Amino acid sequence: MGEQNILKVNPLPTLTWNHLMLNFANMPLEAASSKKADIPSEFKDIETGMGREFVSFVESHASYVRIIRAGKGEDLGVIKDEKAGIASEIILIEAGEDSRVTFYTHASDSVQDGQITRLVKVIAGPRAQVTVIQSQTVGNGCLVGDDFGAVVGDEAKVRLIQSELGGKAAFAGGCAALKGYKADFTEETIYFGDESRRLDFSYVTRHTGKKTTTSILANGALFGNADKVYRGSMDFIHGCSKSKGREAENVLLFSPTARNRSIPLILCDEEDVDGQHAASIGKINKDLMYYLQSRGLTENQARQLAVESRFNPVIDEIPDEAVREEIHASLERRMNLD
Amino acid sequence: MAEERPEIQGVNQSIYDFRYETHASFETDAGLTPEIVEQISKEKNDPDWMREFRLKSLEIYQKTAVPNWGPPLDGLNMDQIITYVRPNTTMRGKWSEVPDDIKNTFERLGIPDAEQKSLAGVGAQYDSEVVYHNVKDEVARQGVVYTDMESALRGPYADLVKEKFMHLVPPTDHKFAALHGAVWSGGSFVYVPAGVHVDIPLQSYFRLNAAGAGQFEHTLIIVEPGAYLHFIEGCSAPKYNVANLHAGCVELYVGKGARLRYSTIENWSKNMYNLNTKRALVEDDGIMEWVSGSFGSHISYLYPMTILQGNDSHMDFTGITFAGKTQALDTGAKVVHNGRNTSSHISTKSISKDGGVCVYRSEVIIGKDAVGAKSSVNCDSLMLDSKSRSDTIPAMDVRNADSDVGHEAKIGRISDEAIFYLMSRGLSEEDARAMIVSGFAEPVAKELPLEYAVEMNNLIKLEMDGSTF
Repeated sequence: MGEQNILKVNPLPTLTWNHLMLNFANMPLEAASSKKADIPSEFKDIETGMGREFVSFVESHASYVRIIRAGKGEDLGVIKDEKAGIASEIILIEAGEDSRVTFYTHASDSVQDGQITRLVKVIAGPRAQVTVIQSQTVGNGCLVGDDFGAVVGDEAKVRLIQSELGGKAAFAGGCAALKGYKADFTEETIYFGDESRRLDFSYVTRHTGKKTTTSILANGALFGNADKVYRGSMDFIHGCSKSKGREAENVLLFSPTARNRSIPLILCDEEDVDGQHAASIGKINKDLMYYLQSRGLTENQARQLAVESRFNPVIDEIPDEAVREEIHASLERRMNLD
Repeated sequence: MAEERPEIQGVNQSIYDFRYETHASFETDAGLTPEIVEQISKEKNDPDWMREFRLKSLEIYQKTAVPNWGPPLDGLNMDQIITYVRPNTTMRGKWSEVPDDIKNTFERLGIPDAEQKSLAGVGAQYDSEVVYHNVKDEVARQGVVYTDMESALRGPYADLVKEKFMHLVPPTDHKFAALHGAVWSGGSFVYVPAGVHVDIPLQSYFRLNAAGAGQFEHTLIIVEPGAYLHFIEGCSAPKYNVANLHAGCVELYVGKGARLRYSTIENWSKNMYNLNTKRALVEDDGIMEWVSGSFGSHISYLYPMTILQGNDSHMDFTGITFAGKTQALDTGAKVVHNGRNTSSHISTKSISKDGGVCVYRSEVIIGKDAVGAKSSVNCDSLMLDSKSRSDTIPAMDVRNADSDVGHEAKIGRISDEAIFYLMSRGLSEEDARAMIVSGFAEPVAKELPLEYAVEMNNLIKLEMDGSTF
């Protein structure tokens, strides 16, 4: 066991009242002596959602660094993370012109303790299509950090899917620099907070290219004493004319002792943009519960249905049937509160 | 055609940009020391508790850091701010007795006019002191008290003032609340007895005339159970080249089943640092309504806060912010739900042009016991050019499951489709744009009483070049 470091992660792109404790999160990580990973220079300055301190930590601790390069027009299909579940890893993806690649990593509940820190950086060339799926259902003794950063080129499409369903605490973030003309970024997150799980998220999109588009969607459910923070920021930078961003967060609250904090930001110094965000936080719609129960479902079943119907679009993206089944079984077990 | 956009002018400041030489009877040295605070306290003939309160606040002020968030405050040098300037007059009850230069100022602003026409009472503050206070007889006969804070400190409500003064906004709240506690001067005290419905609004007007001065008025309003009051405040100052500071404090107590509407039209000059704190405490079934228009000042930090303490209490906030050249207006609202079945609704509009910066900043807190709480926030930002900036920073903190919190924000420019539609109906492009901007500001304008709209119109006069609208 190494010494414990408290890192400032998930920084808000602009500061607000300190008493809200939303400007950044403190993440306690065990430090171990390790040599600094060798990162190719083109990946070095890519901004991530969790921020510099986390990136620097992972670069000093990664026992596995993998570089995936897709050449012009190449379709690499789905690449699974062969080291999924190890303590610290870095995946660097360079997708050339017109290439396609999907990277998928899942840490299962076979990991019960310790910490997992995963960093994925992406450079998407013109018209490249890159999807990154980070998923975890680790046990309640494990601390998770899932970070992502991408630079998106002309007409390229980058998609990030994060499924954060386990761990004693899960920190996750993503950042996309939309530099190219018509660069597109889609981000989908699901999270499940129960017992005394802590969840902390930060997503940032930096629009600099013209006609860039963003869609950020988070769906979550909070039970028990869960404590969750969600930051979602769209930054429209001068010159990104005709860019468009949509961001939405839906949170279902099931416990009087759970806490939810959300701060969806729009930063804008370009006139010709269209940005919208929406958040909906609260209990399940009474009419929906009544309807489902009138159809013969128990209260628990109705709740499960409501949560899973929101989670399924993301779970269905996981390219491994056994993992999908593991997730459904885990959610069912944890929501079966009777 | 699309490239040649008609110029939409900012708020016309010219009618407020006049000033008189200051002939103050007493001025403190620039900068802030315990001696200056003692001097202010002595000059104002404070009760002992207030003198101690001021000195304690100064200690807090000196220990507290300036905010690390929000627009830059670098241009504000407290060593150069004259905290207290008292005009060379004592308070008058008759308009004709107010000295000419001060009277002229307020006449140009339309204060006596507004009073004659539509207001139940008027208070006018010039620099640090209230120079004029009057309440219509019929309102006074209902038991309504409307006086300046200094009189209230020594009058029949002295104990009530002592109990409530800076109770909602303690000096520990932030650096400029502490500053206010140390050097506050002037402002209004309003007491509306239980069950009294004040039919016509009370108005208070603040005018900062001296260069490089600070204005720190304190407003304390107590609306007893079942009563109703509409209070309007307006603020202005002429242009000077040195920074002026406004760090006022407003504390509002809304009793059971009472309703208070607090409207502000702020048009400080473009060198003003407006660091104002407003807070309301609402008891069972009480209603707090805010209408807030921010047009002036160089830098603003303004977030009226409502604490929905009582069950079934409600808050409504309607705000508009217009930031033009050299302005950074950081405005918004805060609400804390503590009572059961409380509800709040925040609706704001912001317009940025000519390099102006608008920031909408808010917090909605749903406490553990606020079962059945509902809150909705809606903020729209309009960008009129690409030199300007508009940020939206809303925070929500929900601590119980039986609540509903919704938030929506939109940012963008005037849509080409809307312009096209209006032009297809026969409007010129200029008129179409002017109509859309006016329509955008309409939700705030319509919340103000019709009589007050005359002055409001002066304040938010949007000049559209080439527009006949």
